[in-house]
Amino acid sequence: MSIKIALIMCIALAPLGAQELKMPPNLDRLAAKASEVVDVTLDANLLQLAGRFLSDKDADDAKVKKLVAGLKGIYVKSFEFEKAGEYQDSDVEPLRAQLRSPAWSRIVGVRSQKSGQNSEVYIKTENGKIGGLAIVSTEPKELTIVSIEGSIDPDQLSELGGHFGIPKIEPDSQHKNGKPSKDE
Amino acid sequence: MEDFEQLLKSALDRKEPSASFEAKVFAAVAARRSGRSIFWRWAAEVAAVIVIAGGFWVRHEGEVRERAAGESAKARLQLALKVTVTQLARIQKTVRTSTEQE
Repeated sequence: MSIKIALIMCIALAPLGAQELKMPPNLDRLAAKASEVVDVTLDANLLQLAGRFLSDKDADDAKVKKLVAGLKGIYVKSFEFEKAGEYQDSDVEPLRAQLRSPAWSRIVGVRSQKSGQNSEVYIKTENGKIGGLAIVSTEPKELTIVSIEGSIDPDQLSELGGHFGIPKIEPDSQHKNGKPSKDE
Repeated sequence: MEDFEQLLKSALDRKEPSASFEAKVFAAVAARRSGRSIFWRWAAEVAAVIVIAGGFWVRHEGEVRERAAGESAKARLQLALKVTVTQLARIQKTVRTSTEQE
């Protein structure tokens, strides 16, 4: 009987581990305080639509199209503030709590005492493949959250550097595969 | 009185129509029918042109709207990727600086 209950619980709770990241609703309130806001929400339908307007003949477009093909959604929220202390760690905590679930693994954590930068990169693995990527980057006057759902290859992301005004990511000889793991 | 009766009888006598009468009647009916059918054909053609033009306009408007939505989605996608890659580059730079210092 207890095995049956455990089985039912496992089936019922299984989707919770695989569900998409939910952006904390209180982040929207930060927009009013921010001097610059980037808020991008692209679900699977919009990604598909955007993909139709990316040319196969253009090399840059083709790279993006290839990258987007396996994605289910891209969600970006970035806030820049005039002064420090406009947001609290508690604003980001609901997101970090989701990222502590077993589906997600933190692959990079960077904390700089000098600049106050605290950045973390998480990946979600599904059947041995990357099924999502999340970046949480906090600085005294800046907060950026990126959530990418779907099959993504970090190497494809780094290939976009130097195009569309995106800074080029220099290849790192010490940290191959673009997956360094270092806590400062 | 007899003259009058004679005149009336003559007037009411059956007279055969002229040989061209039937042809004239049929020609008149045909001309009338022909006029109506030209009007309806013209009306149908105008309606067809309006429907086809309307169809093209609706399709064109749909394409314009879809293109605008697509270009907007593409621009947002590029912005999202720009923010993502910029963040990754900054993180990598910090990691590298830290590693070099060690």
